[in-house]
Amino acid sequence: MKTDLAVVGGGLAALTAARAIQRSDREVVLVWPGLSSLYFLYATIDVLGYADAGAAEPVDDPGAAVAGLIKDQPSHPYARAGRPALEGGTKMLLEWLREAGLVWEGTLARNVLLPTATGTPKPSCLVPASMAAGDLRRADPIVLCGFHGYQDFAPELAAANLRRSWRTGNQVSAIRIAAPGFDADRLFTSIDLARSFEDRGFRAEVANRMRRQISGDGVRVGLPAVLGLTRAEEVYADFETALGYPVFEIPTVPPSVAALRLFDRLRKHLQETGVELFWNAPAHAATVTEGRCTRILLKSAGREQPIEARAYVLALEDWVDGALRAGVHLVRDPFFGRVIAEHAVPSQRTAESIFGVQPYAQLGYPVTDRLQPADETGRPLADNVFVAGGAIAGYDPSGTKSRGGMAIATGYRAAMEAMAAA
Amino acid sequence: MMTEDFEPVTDTVEEQAPVEACTKCTACNTVCPVARNTEIFRGPKLLGPESERFRIPQEPSVVAGLDLCSGCKLCEVTCPSQVSIQTYIRRAQNKGARERGRTLRDFLLGHTRLLGTFGSLTAPLANLGNRNPLLRWFMERFVGIHRKRPLPRYQFLTFERWHRRHPRPVRARRKVAYFYGCWVNYNERRLGEMVVAILERNGIEVVVPRQQCCGIPAVVNSNTDLARKYGVQNVRLLAPLAGEMDIVASSTSCGLMLKHDYSHLLDIPGAEPLGARTYDICEYLWMLHEAKELDLDFQPVPMRVLYHAPCHLKSHGIGYPAMRLLRLVPGVKVEEVDEGCCGISGTFGVKVEKYDLSMKIGSRLFAAVKAAGSDAVLADCETCRMQVEHGAGASSAHPVEILARAYGYR
Ligand code: SF4
Ligand code: SF4
Repeated sequence: MKTDLAVVGGGLAALTAARAIQRSDREVVLVWPGLSSLYFLYATIDVLGYADAGAAEPVDDPGAAVAGLIKDQPSHPYARAGRPALEGGTKMLLEWLREAGLVWEGTLARNVLLPTATGTPKPSCLVPASMAAGDLRRADPIVLCGFHGYQDFAPELAAANLRRSWRTGNQVSAIRIAAPGFDADRLFTSIDLARSFEDRGFRAEVANRMRRQISGDGVRVGLPAVLGLTRAEEVYADFETALGYPVFEIPTVPPSVAALRLFDRLRKHLQETGVELFWNAPAHAATVTEGRCTRILLKSAGREQPIEARAYVLALEDWVDGALRAGVHLVRDPFFGRVIAEHAVPSQRTAESIFGVQPYAQLGYPVTDRLQPADETGRPLADNVFVAGGAIAGYDPSGTKSRGGMAIATGYRAAMEAMAAA
Repeated sequence: MMTEDFEPVTDTVEEQAPVEACTKCTACNTVCPVARNTEIFRGPKLLGPESERFRIPQEPSVVAGLDLCSGCKLCEVTCPSQVSIQTYIRRAQNKGARERGRTLRDFLLGHTRLLGTFGSLTAPLANLGNRNPLLRWFMERFVGIHRKRPLPRYQFLTFERWHRRHPRPVRARRKVAYFYGCWVNYNERRLGEMVVAILERNGIEVVVPRQQCCGIPAVVNSNTDLARKYGVQNVRLLAPLAGEMDIVASSTSCGLMLKHDYSHLLDIPGAEPLGARTYDICEYLWMLHEAKELDLDFQPVPMRVLYHAPCHLKSHGIGYPAMRLLRLVPGVKVEEVDEGCCGISGTFGVKVEKYDLSMKIGSRLFAAVKAAGSDAVLADCETCRMQVEHGAGASSAHPVEILARAYGYR
């Protein structure tokens, strides 16, 4: 198929790039690799939580901190994307979320500190309105509520950890209720709960049961992010009214309802605004002629399908969605066929401690200053291909809490470059 | 000119996507329309790759809950690791059914050509019977076909017989073989006539080869053995043609069987070259357009239509060729309704114990169709069309019908 521009990927970088192109009234197709990174990682959008992986104190003003980082580390993905891309991309994203019907809050000038499901404070920049009341910088007491039989959120553990780590820590308590109709012996997930929350009667009964256990005035109530899957804004507002206390959601481990809401809505909104999606056809190779990519190949049912675009954004994230292919010794980039890393034994790819800096996470595509994939000498492999998201070499947001911001900045910049090159 | 054609990297571990490729991410479970609508279904992750580790060919199958899988394949569409979830579930279903014996209903629903031959020979009677409440009560009670499910109408003149009398075009720049499938042959001959008309209008001679049922009805009725038998016959009948011409299918699932499932699910030798030359009709017409061979002399068709992408169309991995074609026709306003699976999944929603579930799955689509309002809902798959008509009270059509109208076909 022939098209003006093609974006490959399903994470936030890919969606940002596709939106930026669609908004400029250019034709774009999105080659979707399956439900991957977005779904795991984006309950909130973190721009820069810690100045470096070892920092003890969280960053207050992520916009300013990124500017400092760009100055100090010229090969950092943020530096490659540039500050205008972060700013332009964030502005676009906030408008987009509103247009798509999602209510989010935040600015680049300030981080909020939200509790995770295990009770660690985590700095985030843009957050769903349903999580905002969880800000740990506020002083009002917190009641955490879990559900009997739901294994992905233990309010007692989260409360104990928060008490330990949070300044006014003695003000966190934990309760548990039985979710109506959920037998504690049955295995259920946040998705099951979220679907039930879409039912008004269920919500009212949950609110009743919770209220009976909550004591004290001026408390706010935190519960796992299960307040609805599709009409979450409505579910949240209605539940808060029924409960009579301020409510905040806490993102859970996959399957993360919060991430699914975000992903599903943005993907659908792209389709509604004319972006064509290619499902079930992973892109896995590129043809380069005289320094330009003439097509990428998709694995469709029965045969390889070429997509011929004038420019491409490769916004893949990681090993799972096909950005990199690993054999026993070699790690390769499937698009340009390069060997990216060689290891005598695969264990060289991992650090001893799971919390350590992981060598595999640093692997990726070396890029030029315009985000084109680069060869060993730093020259572009193809003039009209631009890389965004986790596939960029040295893109490791885990310690610094910067995944969302890097995705937005690189996705936006790559889209701008691609449109100029097409 | 310097050309570097980068060969796809082969890496056995990921290319073949064995059970080990499953990262346990649960993405598949979150999109499974059945798991979304009934808590008793354990979902594709558990029934596919996880159970597969415990399936031992010599031991009797554990089939609890397996037959609730409707076969929509959305799990595979969503899995980022390309795990063959459906292949595991389908083969296990088949083995279980072989051990326990197959029910009369599943036998009938799997033998579409048998039903079709009978239905079309007795067409007026069969159609009357299918709408007779007493008979429907009887069918529900003794066969297990839900009495509220409208059954397709049969037509006396089959597509095969119609085509035998259809005059060949005098001049054609190329030939294409048409896999019309049981639906067009027994139930909607008009769709086949339109496909022929459109292709002929574009200077293409339509060859109608002898063919067997594609086998999808058998697959979804826990009988991959029978599907394989049909598939082998089709490969024998069609593979020689595939050396000379492309093959087009107007039923989404027939096309997917030929393209993909013959070689992957059913392991039929020689199926790959056939699959590589099989196209969905809209995919094929779009190719003609890109090659500047599609006649664009369209009359305006002033219609507001909604497009529903069938799950199996997503599985083709070809994007939305129908939407692209429709945008070429002046007057047509087309919007996509993306509310996921319609719920019928072939014969799934026909069954007495699954009808309600099937309607529940489709309820989001029905609501969206009703809210949007339109002149027609377009879908490439015939059972999606049946479901949308039944559930949303909308009229429906295959997207090529709009093209046929734009060419002045009545
Ligand atoms: S094929 Fe459809 S119904 Fe079956 S497990 Fe996969 S998603 Fe669920
Ligand atoms: S989506 Fe794929 S990898 Fe993830 S749990 Fe399902 S089968 Fe496994």
